Amino acid sequence: MIRTILRDLWTSRELFLQLTQRDLKLRYRQAIMGFAWALFLPVLTITAGLILRKAIVGAGGGEPPSLGGIAIKSWAWAFFAGAMNFATISLLTNASLVTKIYFPREVLPLASIVAQGVDSLIGLATLLLVGNWMGFHWSIQLLWVPVLLITLLLMTTGLAFLFACANLFFRDVKYILQVLLTFGIFYTPVLLEPASFGKYGKYMMLNPLSPILEGLRLTLVERASLLDTIYIKGFLVWSPWMLAYSVGVGIFATLIGMVAFRRSAAYFAEYY
Amino acid sequence: MAGHVLFDGVWKRFRRGLSHDSLRDMIPALARRLRPGAKAQHQELREDDFWALRDVNFEVKPGQALGIIGGNGAGKSTTLKLLTKVLVPTRGIAAIRGRAGALIEVSAGFHPDLTGRENVFLQGAIMGMPMSLIRAKFDDIVEFSGIPAFIDTPVKRYSSGMNARLGFSIAAHLEPEVLIIDEVLSVGDADFQSRAFGRIKSLVGAGIPVVIVSHQLDRVVELCTDAILLRQGQVAFHGRPHEAVQAYLQGTSGSNDADVADAAAVGLGIRILQLDGPVPQPVASGSQFTCRVLAEVTGSEPPPHVELGINIVDAATNQHLSRISFRSLGAHPVRAGKFAVDFRMQANMPAGLYRIDTCVWHDQREVLIQGPNRIFQVMPAAEFYGTHQLNAVATTVP
Repeated sequence: MIRTILRDLWTSRELFLQLTQRDLKLRYRQAIMGFAWALFLPVLTITAGLILRKAIVGAGGGEPPSLGGIAIKSWAWAFFAGAMNFATISLLTNASLVTKIYFPREVLPLASIVAQGVDSLIGLATLLLVGNWMGFHWSIQLLWVPVLLITLLLMTTGLAFLFACANLFFRDVKYILQVLLTFGIFYTPVLLEPASFGKYGKYMMLNPLSPILEGLRLTLVERASLLDTIYIKGFLVWSPWMLAYSVGVGIFATLIGMVAFRRSAAYFAEYY
Repeated sequence: MAGHVLFDGVWKRFRRGLSHDSLRDMIPALARRLRPGAKAQHQELREDDFWALRDVNFEVKPGQALGIIGGNGAGKSTTLKLLTKVLVPTRGIAAIRGRAGALIEVSAGFHPDLTGRENVFLQGAIMGMPMSLIRAKFDDIVEFSGIPAFIDTPVKRYSSGMNARLGFSIAAHLEPEVLIIDEVLSVGDADFQSRAFGRIKSLVGAGIPVVIVSHQLDRVVELCTDAILLRQGQVAFHGRPHEAVQAYLQGTSGSNDADVADAAAVGLGIRILQLDGPVPQPVASGSQFTCRVLAEVTGSEPPPHVELGINIVDAATNQHLSRISFRSLGAHPVRAGKFAVDFRMQANMPAGLYRIDTCVWHDQREVLIQGPNRIFQVMPAAEFYGTHQLNAVATTVP
């Protein structure tokens, strides 16, 4: 089944490109901020990071989280949240297509994810421009970044497939997603670092998104190798197994998402 | 590879009411389903389900054009959606071999904020056209749509006619191996309609398998080699197009209750047995054609106040065009038993589908019995223009 889906996607690659282009064009056409929108988010997250650091130092909370870490992790989280939001409603916003014309339905959530990805890459470019100031370090460990980003992409794709078809059958799924994304930031090390939670830090890493975000910070800011096991003040904050866990969950989510989506796709047109 | 369409024992079930629309409703439903004994019940057609199609079979080979006709809710759209894979059959096989081009919902993929040009590429991709083909055909598409001046305008500023014309033009350049057409014969103004119809005709003439759904019965008769009539999700008739149209119109006009008519005929002393019409050959507009009515005087002698004749009706609109009484033309039975009346007429009407109703009147006014009827097709002819034939004679006066 996976092979059929991949073959279908390959044959409809031009449709996929057209839909991605459409999503991007629509985002920037008739929008006040235009492409500035892509810069807006990095500026916002860096400012938030500065405020957070000030607050922690002011409260006497010891070592504040690094600005670069906050920036790169917020960036990754924003991609995940944005892609999930757009992909989940993609089947409903394209209802007129799904009920009338046949094409592999997978292209709809995928186009939303890729359009969000293009947006995020522009944001990432901005972050990298001011990277030295924020404490990014250019080391050999950056080779881990593609691995981490692909894992993030896999996890997003799998979940997006599941949520997109669930949202078609049950219209309240998008509200559930909103709640999860709003409060998920407390269960994911976006602004803080696991080290701040002492011995409970490792439990935060059970969230499969956490190792991806922490991995980005460790390689980009700390120049750490992800093959090392890292303890801070005697508490475990990183183990290569954490990354393996995320990769595993990412692959599993993608496979489950693809199969569930394809299985239910036959009934999409009847559920509008 | 030659295209091919196959519909083999297709059944399609739909849910009449709402399914659970939120997770909150689903959890009690799931709990109900998990109860022992609930499973067997789930397998059958539940109370709020219904069959939209029941055991529909047909096959379309290269060179064939199949028309699908039927009333609203007969299952035509469901059939098309099964053909285009938007829906999957509950049972049976619905398959198309070859690249299918659908003249259906030709502007469904348009986004109002994008320009005509951008939408041509988007809609083309949605319909499965390769980018290279769209690029190669782009100028033809714009030319055919007749709106080159507005191609860089967002389509939200288009009139609905412009929208439909651009959509049709894209679909018309698909170069399909199988063609599926749904009710798009009425796109745009009269000029564009005739161009669109010409385009469809040439596509049909190209010899690929074609499936057409339309309410324009005369178009079905003109374009198709075969036709099926759907009634309540079942094939009520499968055969030649004009016969399918005939079966459809008889079903809708409700004149099929011949038993009632016959019962009344006994008291009247006359009944109509048969009508042999001008079908299956189409009649050229303005030309002569003949029919024969077979009737029987059931009493000992012909009833004096009863007479026999025909009504000519426009089959598409049910508009009454002409009434012809055989007695006033000097043809009336003189003794008991079977007799036939031959009558000859001139088809002084424009091209289209017409129906001959046989009738028995009382005192020239009231229709007492409707006998058998026939559909016939009038073809366009070069010598006849307009809607009425006035048989004008012109002489040059020096």
